[in-house]
Amino acid sequence: MAPNTEHIHDSTRHPMRVAWDVWSAMYLREMIARTMADRMAWFWMIFEPVATIAVMIFIRAYIRGGQNITGAEFIPWMIVGLMGFYLFREAMIRPMGAVESNKGLFTYRQILPIDPVLIRCFVEGMIRSFIFLLFIVIGSLLKINMIPDHAFGVMMDWLSLWMLGVGLGVLLSVASGLIPEVGRIVKIITLPLLLISGVIFPVTYVPAQYQQYLLWNPIVHGIESMRLSFFDSYHSIPGIDMTYLWFWALSTLSLGLVMHVRFASRLKAI
Amino acid sequence: MIEIRNLYKRYHGPHGGDWVLKDVNLVIPNGVSVGVVGRNGAGKSTLLRLIGGMDTPDKGRVIRKGRVSWPIGLAGGFKGSMTGRQNVKFVARVHGIKKSLQKLIQEVQDFADIGKAFDDPVTTYSSGMRARLAFGLSLAFDFDIYISDEATAVGDRAFKAKAREAFQQRVDHASLIMVSHGEGTLKQMCQAGIFVDQGHAQWFDRIEDAIGAYHLSTGVMTDVADEDDEEETPVEQLDATSLKAQLRSLRQEITTLHKQHIISEYRLETATDEDEAAILQEETELLHRKHRLARKRFSELKQHEQASAGR
Repeated sequence: MAPNTEHIHDSTRHPMRVAWDVWSAMYLREMIARTMADRMAWFWMIFEPVATIAVMIFIRAYIRGGQNITGAEFIPWMIVGLMGFYLFREAMIRPMGAVESNKGLFTYRQILPIDPVLIRCFVEGMIRSFIFLLFIVIGSLLKINMIPDHAFGVMMDWLSLWMLGVGLGVLLSVASGLIPEVGRIVKIITLPLLLISGVIFPVTYVPAQYQQYLLWNPIVHGIESMRLSFFDSYHSIPGIDMTYLWFWALSTLSLGLVMHVRFASRLKAI
Repeated sequence: MIEIRNLYKRYHGPHGGDWVLKDVNLVIPNGVSVGVVGRNGAGKSTLLRLIGGMDTPDKGRVIRKGRVSWPIGLAGGFKGSMTGRQNVKFVARVHGIKKSLQKLIQEVQDFADIGKAFDDPVTTYSSGMRARLAFGLSLAFDFDIYISDEATAVGDRAFKAKAREAFQQRVDHASLIMVSHGEGTLKQMCQAGIFVDQGHAQWFDRIEDAIGAYHLSTGVMTDVADEDDEEETPVEQLDATSLKAQLRSLRQEITTLHKQHIISEYRLETATDEDEAAILQEETELLHRKHRLARKRFSELKQHEQASAGR
């Protein structure tokens, strides 16, 4: 069989080329794993966010009451907030298990612990974007006003929330790899995070003197900014600033990447 | 060629760690197959992992010139929920293979010889099937240097023979670095040897010398060290009649060995010539070891017999 085998002609592939080959291979692998893990995987991938959002809207609309949002319809307002928050949350949570669950792959020295982390962040963003588009299409068909007023602004805010999740996800993937408790704690605080990020209750309900503390949370900036782009007449609290969010996103991402370089061999050995 | 310069490696356990490898300097030339010997925990596998690039050294460098494989037959990288074919595709893509992907898949499929299971999820595979797939995958790539760690490679004996044969076919343009306790295998496959002891690695141009150095350090005469061919049937797989037969033959063997041991000890005491004494010394130790092994096996079987009788 020897003469039939292919020469791996570019044994000295350029490092960027190796990285690209690894990423494309891992992207396909991750996509297959997410969509075809069992026969209903692709269905749940779409139906699960639909169901959670439906439940959230039901709770807010019929049990809690009070659905007067200044300048926006209630259901699109909820959907935009929840989709934005879930994009952030999934991009942050998913990479935490990535190193652990792809441990076997580090046999191939081309693959570094950062690779599965980045790929998961990317795949998660793709899937969430697809679902969001699906919501817009289906919502429009149902005569719910789901067409954004400033599409480009929404896309930028969507990207910003994603990057915030990616930054924290990359950082936490190292942190939870080195200290397993970090992962548990982060999963516990995601629910309170949902409540204080103005996803379910409008931030304008918060008394004016406390609003400044609310603005410490970068997620609020992202979600409110996206709603402002989505609904022309929407009014939010003053002080929404995307530079603050990007400051968070880029500093966590840089710190995360540096830690990945520093602790690569330790993460491999877990 | 692989060059190892001032290599240091340690693992950080909960209580810190001693150096597993200390100041290793080696040059492995092209086309020379190398066997790595040393006692358990000496750092053989660590050395292999460092050569393969799966681990990074704490100090020093490993310079690889040429294409080095991952450990042959390692099945750890397979994703259980994906089919054999999908897993093969993944590894091929990681290694930058695009045009001849189909040919490579065909080749792995032929070598692994697992039939329709190739398109079933890997979780449904037996350990033997996994080994076949992993081995076929390793051999489908044309590496310059293959690395092999017996601790991680699995498979039944017939398949091992097939794999060995397939490997020998390509030995003219590829070489092998292997960790093994099977001395027969080492002598058959390798020319040079590395002996790892207490963190230091020593190069020998002939594998026999490396094995010799290993024996010298352990102080045990082993003429039956080829553990590959000395596998005993696990106790659980014996049925009652063969168990009885084995017990009987073992009892005879133990008696004979015991007698021989006593005789050689007596001869050793009465030996006058120094050379003769040395030979007798070795012989006595060997007999003593064989005797101990036989008794150990005997008590194992006896225990099993009693346990199954009690059931």
